Amino acid sequence: MNNRHQSLNDRRASGDDWQGEIQEIISGASGGFLFGIPLLYTMEVWFIGAYIQPPILLSILAVTFIVVLLINRIEGFRPQESKTLPGAIAETFETLAVGIVCSTLMLIILRRIDLQTSLIEALGQVIFESVPFSFGVAFSRSLLSGNPGIDLDENKPSNSSPSSRNPKSIVWRDTIADFSATLIGALFIAFSIAPTDEINMLAASASALELLAIMVASLLISYGIVFASEITNYQQRRQQSGLFQTPQSETVISYIVSLFVGMMMLWFFQKISVSDPWFLWLRYGIILGLPASVGGAAGRLAV
Amino acid sequence: MPKNAWGRSLTEKVSFALSLFIVGIIVALVCYLWITGDTNPPILSVTTSQIRQVNQEYYVPFTVTNSGGETANAVEIVGELAIAQEVETGMQQIDFLSRQETRSGEFIFSRDPQQGELTVRVASYQQP
Repeated sequence: MNNRHQSLNDRRASGDDWQGEIQEIISGASGGFLFGIPLLYTMEVWFIGAYIQPPILLSILAVTFIVVLLINRIEGFRPQESKTLPGAIAETFETLAVGIVCSTLMLIILRRIDLQTSLIEALGQVIFESVPFSFGVAFSRSLLSGNPGIDLDENKPSNSSPSSRNPKSIVWRDTIADFSATLIGALFIAFSIAPTDEINMLAASASALELLAIMVASLLISYGIVFASEITNYQQRRQQSGLFQTPQSETVISYIVSLFVGMMMLWFFQKISVSDPWFLWLRYGIILGLPASVGGAAGRLAV
Repeated sequence: MPKNAWGRSLTEKVSFALSLFIVGIIVALVCYLWITGDTNPPILSVTTSQIRQVNQEYYVPFTVTNSGGETANAVEIVGELAIAQEVETGMQQIDFLSRQETRSGEFIFSRDPQQGELTVRVASYQQP
């Protein structure tokens, strides 16, 4: 991993690496989603913009800026640390911008912001939701790197030389490991969101097109968190065996697992019953599937 | 393209410029709302539009708007239909209505509103 960081830094030093820049931003955004999605499913934040005053919104932006700046002095979403204050300030603007864009997109997809929403209400929602997103972006390298997992795996001879093991058992072992990690991660997030009224409210206002948009967003975010991040244990995951072996299949299978976990949690908390029509299960499942798939992706990072 | 003296490559400078623009827009919009801020109490108005009939029931769409300065909380809209001394009543509540915000809904009556006297009005609100 250090070698990869070095090579990334080398390429960036040449100053012509647009792909690397985009990967860093996607990586930062993935951290933002990981940290910000739970607050997105909090009704009180949707309404906060309706009664908050502009000076308070500016104060929240200022406080977030200072906190992110402090984080960026020691952490930050860019692999090359901002050693100088101007560098850290620039990275803080970038962190806030990624947080604002991600939270705005999610609020639009979940129809919390539409053409009828007033400017002050939309701004209030965006600024409040962008706080955890920005923190997630700033902490993205810690959130996504999965360092402990890598170190442990590197110390295991069995993992470093997969060819010495029985290939069939490796496939099943890795598949079960990925499946379990997705299940636990999705369960972890879905368990805390499923009993809330937010799911009903979001499902009530979602059209078929919006449900499709939520599905696409779930898949893209899940894919982004685990695979599109250059600074995670990406290469190691690409080399992993099992039915989850390709990024596309892993994302899709994991999403199906997350949908299933979401539906089970909704049933567990009596939000939907067996007698309810199938489309209600699907509608509620897709709504909860978004945070569940983010949790599942986070769970797989730990494997 | 070598890094400049500031230690940032061209790609990073482009990212920074875009980021500055996005954050700047947000700050500018909040400042705009602050400067043009209207501290007048809410002014709530409701209008109805084309009635539609479905399965012997009459749907009356309404739109409520807050043209005042402050946000109204728990806005209560009452619809009353009086036909031959009988009154049908419907009630709606909207959690928050910011300034210049519009929300829509429908009242449902079992008799034709065009045959009687229909009144749709905002009955009350709370200060948040």
